[in-house]
Amino acid sequence: MNITGVRDAAGAVAAGAQTPAGVQTLTALAFLIAWQLIGMTGSILSELFPPITEIIKSLWHYLTTPILIPHLYASLYEVLGGLLVGSLFGIPLGILFGSRRSFMQVMEPIILYLAVVPKIIVFPVFILFLGIGTHSKLAVAAIAAFFPIALLTITGMREVRPVFLDVARTLGASTLKIATRIYLPAIAGYVFTGLRIGLGAAVTGALLAETKIARAGLGFMIVEYYGQFRMADMYALLLFIFILAALANWGMKALFSLLLPLPRSSENVAAFI
Amino acid sequence: MKESTKAALWRALLILGGLGFIEASVRLGWIDPFFLASPVQAIGVLWSQLVSGNALYLILVTLYEIAAALLISTVVGLLVGFVLWRYQLIGASYELFLAALFSSPVILAYPVFLVFFGRTSAAVIVLSSFFGLVPIIMNTKSAFQHVNPILVQVGASMNLSRQRMFRHILLPAAAPTIFSGFRLGLTYILKSVLGLEYVIQVGGVGMWLSDAAFRFEVGEVYAGLVGTTLLSILFLFMINHAEMKVRK
Repeated sequence: MNITGVRDAAGAVAAGAQTPAGVQTLTALAFLIAWQLIGMTGSILSELFPPITEIIKSLWHYLTTPILIPHLYASLYEVLGGLLVGSLFGIPLGILFGSRRSFMQVMEPIILYLAVVPKIIVFPVFILFLGIGTHSKLAVAAIAAFFPIALLTITGMREVRPVFLDVARTLGASTLKIATRIYLPAIAGYVFTGLRIGLGAAVTGALLAETKIARAGLGFMIVEYYGQFRMADMYALLLFIFILAALANWGMKALFSLLLPLPRSSENVAAFI
Repeated sequence: MKESTKAALWRALLILGGLGFIEASVRLGWIDPFFLASPVQAIGVLWSQLVSGNALYLILVTLYEIAAALLISTVVGLLVGFVLWRYQLIGASYELFLAALFSSPVILAYPVFLVFFGRTSAAVIVLSSFFGLVPIIMNTKSAFQHVNPILVQVGASMNLSRQRMFRHILLPAAAPTIFSGFRLGLTYILKSVLGLEYVIQVGGVGMWLSDAAFRFEVGEVYAGLVGTTLLSILFLFMINHAEMKVRK
């Protein structure tokens, strides 16, 4: 390559660095290199910052051996079970409360105020009733998932334009037809967004409960590694959980956008939950 | 009777009815009192803890943690939010990072903070301030971004200096959206502080709940639950009230 070629290539790299993608890549690289150097030299809290290579080695170990399988199974059972129970209560109650203005006026403030209470604090009550096994975590996940699902379903019901209902009734549509042709398409996007946010809440609820008292699960393993001061393993597990959560979120978003377009305002509503 | 008053009365009736049902279930032996304390017992324990000063001290510790986390989030959040708005390339680059980090279950990384700060209130404050930080940053950036350009043009036509433009045009126009960020941030901080206090058993009201659960003091567990719920509701009520005033 001649000097002009090198200069052009350097110019292209410099121009690339001026874009958001370029800055993001450079930041991520700088972060990884800095961490690796700190880890290798042990200059700052050597126990706390193991080299990145060690963390990746641990992550590879998790991915290629069955070591995490029982814990992953326990956590998945709690999270998916919690999401199922949360949606079995959240969607019908959201529809019921959102179906009439009077119901909404009575119930919405109760749900909105209770949504702010951290769900993990109900965990001791679930331990009393369900023990320290997976069911008490499933219950925490369910209650965590319930609120975003119910609130977004109520929002979806509120967004149904009364004129559509009036037209349907004028045309003599039955209750079933009104439900399937007007309400269902109107609330589906909100319910799906509620399910997606509910999944995130269920993951946090179940895994946080596992870190408190458990016999199995990914959250339980985090605390185990922390207790044994195996920091590289702990970071690798956190990374593994973050990647799983991001993939689940992305997967649900992709699936729902294939099924139907998401409502415009639902993300804004979600921010308040 | 006004519609909202009627709804409030129905709401009160519903809550009292629910509590009455639980009270009756425990007193009539339908539910074992080992699992469920009656509301009268739970409120009684909460009241005695308040009168003795124990609960008051715990509430003050929790409030201190919330206030400290909010202070950190506000100072850092406003500054970073302003920088992300002022320098577009940085804003476009890091907004995605922040959103991705915020939507991941970062709270599970609390053991890392325990290593740094020990099992102290500092760990709760620093991790909780992260949850308040992101909404404040996002709303501050968005608030400045969406200031009506006509207002800025009016300021420019009056030859306002940069400082005066910021103080008299940008800041008042952005204030309601920035306040929404505070509201969101404070809500997340509240949830995080109470949740972390319970999980790592340190600090105020959340720690009391955890401690009571370990001792199998059912009355205290429910009293702590009622106290934590009331504290959360009171906070949200105050935040909503303050936001309404700011928006007026």
